[in-house]
Amino acid sequence: MRSSPGSRGLLIILLFSMSLFAKSQESTLIAVGNQSGAPAAMKLSELRAVLMGEKQRWKNGNRIIIALMKTNTSVGKTTSARIYEMSGDELNKFWLALVFQGKAQPPYFFNSTSDLENFVAQNPGAIGILDKPITDHEIKAIMIDGQKTF
Amino acid sequence: MKGISFLICISCFVFLSHESCAQDTQIKGFIGVLTTYDKNKVSFGFDEQDLFITSVINDRVSLLGESVFKYTPSTPTEFSVSIERVIIKYNIQGNHNLILGKVHTPLNYWNDSYHHGRVFYPTIDRPLLFAANIIPLHTVGIGVQGFDLGKLRFGYDLFVGNGLGSTEILDNDKNKSVTVAIHIKPADRLRLGVSWYYDVIAKGASVHNKIINWKVNQHLFSASVSRFGKKLEILAESTAGINHTDTTGSKTTFASYIYTGYKVTDKIIPYLRFDNINYQRGEIYYDKNNTTSIVAGIRYEINYLAVVKLEYQYQHSEFSDNINKVTGQFAIGF
Repeated sequence: MRSSPGSRGLLIILLFSMSLFAKSQESTLIAVGNQSGAPAAMKLSELRAVLMGEKQRWKNGNRIIIALMKTNTSVGKTTSARIYEMSGDELNKFWLALVFQGKAQPPYFFNSTSDLENFVAQNPGAIGILDKPITDHEIKAIMIDGQKTF
Repeated sequence: MKGISFLICISCFVFLSHESCAQDTQIKGFIGVLTTYDKNKVSFGFDEQDLFITSVINDRVSLLGESVFKYTPSTPTEFSVSIERVIIKYNIQGNHNLILGKVHTPLNYWNDSYHHGRVFYPTIDRPLLFAANIIPLHTVGIGVQGFDLGKLRFGYDLFVGNGLGSTEILDNDKNKSVTVAIHIKPADRLRLGVSWYYDVIAKGASVHNKIINWKVNQHLFSASVSRFGKKLEILAESTAGINHTDTTGSKTTFASYIYTGYKVTDKIIPYLRFDNINYQRGEIYYDKNNTTSIVAGIRYEINYLAVVKLEYQYQHSEFSDNINKVTGQFAIGF
């Protein structure tokens, strides 16, 4: 049975889309923190609670400051889906509502991972999410469930 | 003397708290435009314009202010400005905060969650119990709150305020209102809450533009369930308002609503809301007018800052004309 050029094109597009989807599912995340505040290791459930604004302070008393990539970046999309189990829009609405209720301080959102790394390095208590190994050695990678990536 | 000592303590907390971050102030707002079809005519209008400001003053102190500009036909300019919330928050420890200022009384999920942000409302208007003044929307005073404590993510609000009949800067009597609210979040997107509010409303007090001719002891008991799942949305709240006067004894009013919506897609949510207010015979503090309403609508969430809603409402009241209307709203955050 021979397929038409149109259906072959469709198949290629479909396979390409599936590979992109699979890639986004496979992409890993890394939690990073300022040298002061965030612990060296956390459970994924603890990380989720922190990033959902359910904790205001670290054990050493530092205020928790959340740094995320913008929800329209690929890291931001993966962070929204993997950690918050939300779409980017849902995540933005979630935070706007929480801030409006006076229950939390909003995260800082960044366009570039280097800006996020710099921010985390400069702010005690800051925690952020990246998709690649850190380049700024003033910040620390946080082990999640005993793994460097999750 | 005790009051002065307390104020000195708070001042010390504020000024001695460790400053580790620069001030960070943000201004945001909400507004919506409306169109209604009622009594065989179409009208256009707009909702109140809500501005809210958040500011991190230092490591422990933050501010939230909410001001509303709205159409008020009784004023010379036909508009008025009101301060809806002024909250100075001091983080005592962990997830425990001291709250000072004017708050939306935290006895009701809707009142404590959506405030004046129309873009957050699951329906176009607030439930009927708001317009019927069943609950005190605001309280000026002092309180403590905690949240996300333990595995059940327990939260609490304890608030003492001037109470009904007071102005924004002065209590009208010696009695203070007390609000106690607790909630748990036993699963993601699920919240269960109960609350109690107590106040003594002095004889001669002006409440909701009405002079109260009797001393009223008021107890409000509220309960709420909210579950905004990935597909199904449910929000149900009920308040029992018990008003006691020497002449009428205790009279109980039940005010409830249930909202449910279903996400057909991420952006399209058809919904229903049913409201019911039932006053006991002999109620004299509330304006007795047993009312039932049903709302059926559809919400289209363009994004998190822009929402379009279209809904039909039928309302039947004991002493008012029935309402049959269609309303459209375009609400935005900015």
